[in-house]
Amino acid sequence: MKFQAKIQADDDARTVTIRLTGELDSGSAPTLNEMIGQAAQHPVDRLVLLMDRLDYLSSAGLRCLVFAHQKFGPGVEIVLVGTKREVAETIQLTGLDRSVTMQDPADV
Amino acid sequence: MVERLTVRATTAAGSEVAGFVQALSEQGGLTERQSYRLRLAVDEIVTNIVLHGYRGQPGPVRLEGGTEGDRVWLRIVDDAPAFDPTTHDPRPRLAAQADGREGGFGLFLAMSGVDDFSYDRTDGHNRNTLVMRRP
Repeated sequence: MKFQAKIQADDDARTVTIRLTGELDSGSAPTLNEMIGQAAQHPVDRLVLLMDRLDYLSSAGLRCLVFAHQKFGPGVEIVLVGTKREVAETIQLTGLDRSVTMQDPADV
Repeated sequence: MVERLTVRATTAAGSEVAGFVQALSEQGGLTERQSYRLRLAVDEIVTNIVLHGYRGQPGPVRLEGGTEGDRVWLRIVDDAPAFDPTTHDPRPRLAAQADGREGGFGLFLAMSGVDDFSYDRTDGHNRNTLVMRRP
């Protein structure tokens, strides 16, 4: 499925939420990186990525998470919600799960 | 029977590659999880060839694969300068990634996601062969 990303800021603008849909690979990662770069220009406390509709994640997508850390800085929590099993395994395999918070949808 | 596909080396080749792997996985009766990991491995190898092997220049990437006995195999062949992924140790770079620095996860994902990974240089071609054991 074609990759889509939609961004939304909450009312006090301290949390930015991005819903990811489809497949995040080397072809689509630049789209998300651009969105992250724009969002990081505003001070926030949390970046929430809604992952339940993301079907595929390659290393290019993992680098988006690293990029988000770089852009937002160490004080901003990055939360991944509802990550599918295969996608979560990829994140865990590389140890990146230790630098993000992985949540079930019910915990949000 | 051997299935074959040749793609141009661009990052847009992902969907063609995914379709090829999906068909091969179904032919070989792989589980969804195995199919996902094989696709990821192939995607990472092809992306590496595109970005680093051919350095963004056009070049062919040939895929061939089949089912033999208890295994599904898939070979990726390119004409870029010799590069053996099995000599690439990703651990220092993976450690660096946790600190947010740039580096490569791709080859690590490729080699750790399949049951067997081998490389050979034959007649001026890089040949990466990936194997998944059938359930």
